[in-house]
Amino acid sequence: MNEFPQFINIPLGDYIKTFISWLTVNYSGFFDGVKAGILSVLLKMQDFLIWIPWFAVILFIFALGWKVKNLKSGLTFTAMLLLIGLMGYWEAMMLTISIVLTAVVISLLLGIPLGILSAYNKRMDNIMRPILDAMQTMPSFVYLIPAIMFFGLGSVPAVFATTIYSLPPVIRLTALAINSVSHEMKEAAHAFGPTTWQALVKVEIPQAMPTIMAGVNQTTMMAMAMVVVSSMIGAKGLGYSVLIAINRTDVAMGAEAGISIVFLAIIIDRLTQSVSEKFKYDE
Amino acid sequence: MKNTNKIWLFLFVLILMVGATACSTNIPNDSEKTEEIDTEAVVEKETVVFGDAGWDSLRLHNAIAAFILEEGYGYETDVIPGSSVNLIEGMVAGDIAVMMEMWQDNTPAFGEHVKSGTLMNLGTNFDDNAQGLYVPRYVIEGDAERGIEAMAPDLKTVHDLMDYSDLFPDAEDPGRAIIVNGPPSWAVTTIMEIKLQGYGLDEKYNIVGSGSSAALAASLAAAYEKGQPWVGYYWEPTWISGKYDIVLLEDAPFDEALWNEGSKYACEFKPEDVVIGANTEFMQNNPEVMAFLEKYKTSSALTAEALAYLQDNDAEIDEAAQWFILENQELVKEWVPEDVFTKVMTALK
Amino acid sequence: MEKLRVENLTKVFGKHPKKILQLLEDGLKRDEIFKTTQHTVGIGNVNFSVEEGETFVIMGLSGSGKSTLIRCLNLLNKPTAGKIIIDEENIMDYDKKQMREFRRNKIAMVFQHFGLFSHKTVIENVEFGLEIKGEKKEYRYKKSLETLKTVGLEGWEDYRISALSGGMKQRVGLARALANDPEIILMDEPFSALDPLIRRDMHTELLDLQSKLKKTIIFITHDVNEAFKLGDRIAVLKEGEIVQIGTPEEILENPENEYIRNFIQDIDRSRILKAENIMRKSILKLNNSQKPKIALEILDDSDFQYGFVVDRETRKIVGVVEADDLIDAIKNKKTIEEVMHLDYITVSKDEYVKEIIEKAYETKYPIAVIDESENYIGRIQRGSLLKALV
Repeated sequence: MNEFPQFINIPLGDYIKTFISWLTVNYSGFFDGVKAGILSVLLKMQDFLIWIPWFAVILFIFALGWKVKNLKSGLTFTAMLLLIGLMGYWEAMMLTISIVLTAVVISLLLGIPLGILSAYNKRMDNIMRPILDAMQTMPSFVYLIPAIMFFGLGSVPAVFATTIYSLPPVIRLTALAINSVSHEMKEAAHAFGPTTWQALVKVEIPQAMPTIMAGVNQTTMMAMAMVVVSSMIGAKGLGYSVLIAINRTDVAMGAEAGISIVFLAIIIDRLTQSVSEKFKYDE
Repeated sequence: MKNTNKIWLFLFVLILMVGATACSTNIPNDSEKTEEIDTEAVVEKETVVFGDAGWDSLRLHNAIAAFILEEGYGYETDVIPGSSVNLIEGMVAGDIAVMMEMWQDNTPAFGEHVKSGTLMNLGTNFDDNAQGLYVPRYVIEGDAERGIEAMAPDLKTVHDLMDYSDLFPDAEDPGRAIIVNGPPSWAVTTIMEIKLQGYGLDEKYNIVGSGSSAALAASLAAAYEKGQPWVGYYWEPTWISGKYDIVLLEDAPFDEALWNEGSKYACEFKPEDVVIGANTEFMQNNPEVMAFLEKYKTSSALTAEALAYLQDNDAEIDEAAQWFILENQELVKEWVPEDVFTKVMTALK
Repeated sequence: MEKLRVENLTKVFGKHPKKILQLLEDGLKRDEIFKTTQHTVGIGNVNFSVEEGETFVIMGLSGSGKSTLIRCLNLLNKPTAGKIIIDEENIMDYDKKQMREFRRNKIAMVFQHFGLFSHKTVIENVEFGLEIKGEKKEYRYKKSLETLKTVGLEGWEDYRISALSGGMKQRVGLARALANDPEIILMDEPFSALDPLIRRDMHTELLDLQSKLKKTIIFITHDVNEAFKLGDRIAVLKEGEIVQIGTPEEILENPENEYIRNFIQDIDRSRILKAENIMRKSILKLNNSQKPKIALEILDDSDFQYGFVVDRETRKIVGVVEADDLIDAIKNKKTIEEVMHLDYITVSKDEYVKEIIEKAYETKYPIAVIDESENYIGRIQRGSLLKALV
């Protein structure tokens, strides 16, 4: 009596599998198109990042750190980047950045409009909610396999998987930001007869900006967190080095690649955080 | 700022170390328990813990051995999943008793532990396996049923790939072709890379690691479902070779000298001696288990059959194991004493 | 001229507001409706009209529905039933585009907590309405600068909102509303978030502005003194319904019921009541050429002890007599002019009671009230001055 009755059996997984195969076979044109699109962005970004001389990158990050935070931060970031380079992970870092950035850009392009939509539309919000929960809690390995089915091995499924993981925070925080624009300010805006678009662009988005920027920061950090996982489907970069190291119990290599990821994450986190601070208004 | 960095760094290293030994610390050690109650008339049998590194043939052999140990010998069994490297560490620590497939070339650590005596090699499970570069059969011969025309009718050997580089374009590196290699954790991945470079294939091909065995399988499966060309590392026996019609590209026949010359691995793989690995102490404490596993021997072909049964019938791994025992009664009879065999067969019915 | 008229306006909050209308018609009370249906009646069957250039104050305690009501007037709240007629058009029939045009050109609003945009500078805030209308940048800037000047914020245009004090913030709010040149300004408790002293300044400022601009203002407040100070007319709102509408004096003199009486209890009447509100109209016709005997008969017929004497020709007051004075005149064959007293005082009918009280000490006689052409129209007994205050 304690066991769940065996004769009741819903092969949900089979349906999903069939669905995924069906998608793979019948919509390969669509996925190839998406793949080509993502790839063209990714490759340009990769080429560009690898093309810029290393000292230019360091100088740029130093200046940026100085400007948005302070001299000390600028120097710290410089030291971190130098160390990554000295350990021999410069190119791997650039590959990682290109995947992370591409995923973040896609996340923002999709996430901000979706967030606004679900702030405006209750039904949309109700639909989005469980999907976002699923995206955040579904173990990433589960969708890595369909990602390969759709996009093949390499950076594109990595960008896809990273996007799935990093999209929710920007959607949630955008919706939250738009919803928490003060009621009176919204009324004040609407009292002057703006179109929905005018109210959105001139009042709601600027007001929501600090929170949206917090979402950008979180999204970027989530994307960084997927670096190692996405290497399991063939994405190159720092994650791949970590993967090799972990699997060969090569502590030295793992530590170096791992520290590089941490440094990169710290730099990205501090920079995006400081930028989002700049968007805050005093009430 | 500086301090936070140090903490991050320290935490990271800590996580790495914990990760590497996680399996060895989590599981209570059963052998101590047994010693405490050794004086009782009924000796409580230890639980036989199998390591599951995630590929199907290993899971099948785990299930076959587990079924026989449970039904025939009255042992409890358990399975711990993990990556092969972590599982070997777990086996060294005594948390895992047996791994039914040790691919020795891929796991040099195993050999070292055998030498030091903590682990033991219980002999061959199967040694008629194959590995190397595979392509779907339709790439060479076409598939009339699916309306696929032959794309590379003259592709026979690894070297022929030089003429077909247009067929396998690397989307991420326009103008070049791609050969999908194994996961980075497997020693064979490095061997393949060196071997193919030695053949000069890297002139036209990027030899790209697949990140994980699941990714490798999915990559092949996706190409196969779509009827697209694909070339990459694979091995037999697997469910892939049971389900999909794939062809091993020929290479020079195995020759020890050729293989070792300049460490370029310039010939086909020696059929690997896939052995059963075990924790030495556990086996010494449980001689009947050791005796059974030392006799345990199958073949790549038999394994592939069971795996195909698994895939075709959408069966559970346990069902496939029972199917295997039923199909290969004569073989199983050689592994165990008469009475154990009877018990196993009774349990099957 | 009538600018705005509200007919049977009803706003119900809840899932199916239309279904509640029948219950309201059946005479169910607000809390009964809430208990049985979980719907809140914001306002129910409200009627009033506002003249052009009038300052119309809607006064009520919190929860009385006044904010709901004012938001119906620019459709920030969509009314459930009724009509809002502005310049002969029912704005509830407007489609989206018409409603935008209406908000852009005809009506503006000032908010309790200012509702300013913290991401914009002072001038950008003021420009907002013009920006929405699509006005040219130069015009926008020029117009906003002028408007800032009229509210006394010259030189502050490039500051952030956060740099301003509360009073200045509301001046920006006011400027933002005025910059659009609206015909109607809705003010939702605009001064209640300010300090009392600043609030008083703002009252003066608003009265000054209004005397120049002559906008139609609908002003919400919970503060009785504010209402009576600013309002040409006042509507008192209670539980979503209007209890009384009238000029401040009308309400003070004839409170509709106990609720209003309580409401106006704390008010400083001497600042609101004028001479004409508390005077007794004079029907006495004593004049300087009358025979004292006839004058005495007239006085005797009334209950008055005193009578003001007017000039027969000009009808202007010339003196005041007591009955004793007239008897004296009859006995001694004197004329009225010879016995009347000249130490009376007169006040204009528009003079506030507060000022009259100060003058009252100068005479022992009642105070005469005169109209614009200095005709005698009534008198104020000294005792009734005090009575009027409680």
